[in-house]
Amino acid sequence: MTFDVDIDAFQGTDPVYTIAEEVFSAMIDGEVGHLRAWAGPEPTLTDEVHAWVDVRGPVQGRVLLSTEQPTARRITRALLAMEPEEPVGDADLADALGEVANVVGGNLKALVTDPGALTLPEVSHDRPETTPEDLIYALSLDWRGRPLVITLWNLP
Amino acid sequence: MVAVRVLVADDSRVMRQIVIRTLRQAGYDWWDISEAQDGRAAFEAVTADPPDLVLSDWNMPEMTGMELLESMRASGLDTPFAFVTSEGSPEMRAQAEAAGALFLIAKPFTADVFRETIDPYLE
Repeated sequence: MTFDVDIDAFQGTDPVYTIAEEVFSAMIDGEVGHLRAWAGPEPTLTDEVHAWVDVRGPVQGRVLLSTEQPTARRITRALLAMEPEEPVGDADLADALGEVANVVGGNLKALVTDPGALTLPEVSHDRPETTPEDLIYALSLDWRGRPLVITLWNLP
Repeated sequence: MVAVRVLVADDSRVMRQIVIRTLRQAGYDWWDISEAQDGRAAFEAVTADPPDLVLSDWNMPEMTGMELLESMRASGLDTPFAFVTSEGSPEMRAQAEAAGALFLIAKPFTADVFRETIDPYLE
C-alpha cells in the first residue's frame, strides 16, 4: 500500500495547500494572506534546511518541508513571539521547523485511510535521501516572498 | 477567582509556548500553568502534585500522551485530561474519548477553538 493522497478528490482545492495555509495563518502569522503558491519557475533553495515526519505502518510515507535558513529563522521567531532581529538558536530552529512539519504531517495523515503512526520530526541541513520515483506530490509555496517547498514521498 | 492549575505536556518547547500563549489569548490568563517535556515527566509531575487539568500532546518520546493517560488512570489518578495534538482524525478522537480524555484539540488551533472547547468544562 502506498501513501497516496488523492488530490483530485478535493475538487479543485489542494488539501496540502489548505493545510499549510491553516498552519501558517493560525500558528505563525496570526492572519491569512502571507502564504501563497509560488509563482514562476520552480524555486532553487540555497542554505537549505529540511524538516520531515514519516508515517510508519500499513501505509508508509514522508512529509518533507524544505526551506532556507533565513526563512526557518523567521518562522521560529514568529512561533516563539520573538523580536524581528532576535538571534535564533539551532535547537529552537529545529524544534520550530520540526513542529511545523509535524502539524502539516499530522493533518495530511488524517486524509489517508488506515494510516500508521507518525514518527517524531527530524530536522537537518542535509536533504534526507529519497528516490525520485517515490515522489508523490510537490507544492512550492511563497511565504513572505521566500520559497518553501512541501513534498510527499512514498517510503519503502 | 481561584486559579486553575494546568500541566502542559509536549516534547516541543515551541509548541508548549504556543499552547500557553493561546491559553492566555483565550482568556485563561489567570491559570497557573506548568510544563512537562514528555509523558514520563508529566506522569511524575501529576503523581507528585496532581493539577486540575492536563493538556497533553499525543506523540512524545519516553511516554506518549495515551500512555500517560493510561498510566494515570491505572494509578488511580483521575485528573481531567485532554489532548492537544497534530492528529485530529475521527479514529484518534474516538481513541481519546474511549481512554477517558475530555476532548482533543487538533493543531493548528486558534484562541477561539480553545475557548469554545474548554469553556463548557469550566461551568
